[in-house]
Amino acid sequence: MIAAFCESLDKFARANIDARRIDAAHKIEPSILHGLAELGVFGASIPEEYGGSELGLEGVCAVVTALARHDRSVATTVGLHLGLGTRGLVAFGSDALKERWLPDIASGKKLAAFATTEAGAGSDLAAIRTRGMEEDGALVVNGEKIYVTNGGLADVYTITASTPGLGGARRGHSLLLLERDDVGVKRGAEEDKLGLRGSSTNTMYFDDARIPLDRVIGVAGEGMTHLAHVLAWGRTAMAAGCIGSATAALEATVAHVAHRQQFGKTLDAFEVVQDQVSEMAATRFAMQAVVHAAATGPRLLSASTTAKILCSEGSWDITDMAIQLHGGSGYIEETGIALILRDARVTRIFEGANDVLRTHLGLLEATVPAERARLAGRSPLGAVADALHDTLTELRTDAARRFGIKLGRQQRILHRLGELALLRDSCDAVVELASAPDAPSNAMDLASRWLHVARLRSLAPISEFADASSPVLPFSGVAHA
Amino acid sequence: MITPQAQEDRVRQILSDLTNVPPADIRAGDRLREDLGLDSVGSMELLSMLAEEFDIDVEMEEAAAVADVAGLMALARRHLG
Repeated sequence: MIAAFCESLDKFARANIDARRIDAAHKIEPSILHGLAELGVFGASIPEEYGGSELGLEGVCAVVTALARHDRSVATTVGLHLGLGTRGLVAFGSDALKERWLPDIASGKKLAAFATTEAGAGSDLAAIRTRGMEEDGALVVNGEKIYVTNGGLADVYTITASTPGLGGARRGHSLLLLERDDVGVKRGAEEDKLGLRGSSTNTMYFDDARIPLDRVIGVAGEGMTHLAHVLAWGRTAMAAGCIGSATAALEATVAHVAHRQQFGKTLDAFEVVQDQVSEMAATRFAMQAVVHAAATGPRLLSASTTAKILCSEGSWDITDMAIQLHGGSGYIEETGIALILRDARVTRIFEGANDVLRTHLGLLEATVPAERARLAGRSPLGAVADALHDTLTELRTDAARRFGIKLGRQQRILHRLGELALLRDSCDAVVELASAPDAPSNAMDLASRWLHVARLRSLAPISEFADASSPVLPFSGVAHA
Repeated sequence: MITPQAQEDRVRQILSDLTNVPPADIRAGDRLREDLGLDSVGSMELLSMLAEEFDIDVEMEEAAAVADVAGLMALARRHLG
């Protein structure tokens, strides 16, 4: 069912979506969004009882991947709606809230957005200053949210706010649902961005916005816990979009090197080019594997973080290599790869900056390492993944012995630990996917190549793991020649 | 030896430095995540700062079990006597 649905999306996109036109216009034509709504895209994450098709996270990922193959702005608009924009309401919302909003959201009549970042609070969620205060039986919301994806198009917003006193908690944060037309809700101008120019991004202002108390999504005062789940969905869907973009870059590259001639032969006859394209393909396979693991596995929170980092960096690397292999034509907008690169850049930043998330992964590995089954007996490639895991365990144990709880302040070590955990998890996911009964015929080759890449990548963080000798320079002098 | 009151004041100050919540406004029942907005990274940084400040060794498992200010105070008391 998911595959057939994605085929219909692909057909629609080929006929109707022109990425360069969207980029130049800085907006998606309404006819595209209407067409996607008619196909049922906006209900992919919504339960059937509210008019959706309830495809689950795996289905949402397939939809976002399919759209991103044609245009990342469209995929971001849809993906945000299906992930961050609606997940809180679907997973934690009251029946009354769902009944009121989800049918229109599923049909595409209303578009959803999500707003959490503030001028003083990005990855640091403790710094959220937007407040919702109970007053005369209503909730009065004040604050500003920046970089709101879908902000200019959406009708419904899920926002995070500090809600002291609400639900009996002295402090606490909550997820709140606001409408575009609520009194006191204002939208700022569209941001002029490097990429994703067709996707709407702006600032939202809440100036004494008065909403009914029943607009709290989930449990009042438990918003941070709800948020962790919502972000995990959003990151996984976003990572899936990276697969689509990378696929477009890879396809264009394979076609280009097959006909572009240099020194009397096509580029694909050169060993270095074959090596580079192999690495691009293996990276894309690893991206598919970690998204599959996040969307279908039991550890969504950590797996979504791995998927977000690996896919955002993978799509950047693949697209960068695509430009390299296209030569000068890759640098020209007409070829289309430059646009994919511009669109890809932000994915390493939004929905959690990769630097912060990598440290986060390292901390998770240090404090609550996940149980892991040995893979050596299940696949010929399993031993490589096991070896990486064993090295990681050894380093982690040694760091814990040396620093104890003070490891929490050793950011560079945590960052390296996070990189190793990410590589280990990617190897595990790749071995799993390559061993699946319906794996493509070249899956073992792709997996083998990725394990090679991961092993090489692991050498640096392993060799410098506990080495604090590389100097951190005083900022006062670093910008001067 | 540090007095229990001075101990508590230092814990509050460290919490305040990390969360920008005034020390006097921090209560024993405040939850690190929901009330003070500290995610797992923030909580671990807090406990690391505490360990450095009082020069104590805390096991990861013990640290991971701390969920609120009262738990934090109790941990400090256990290690400092």
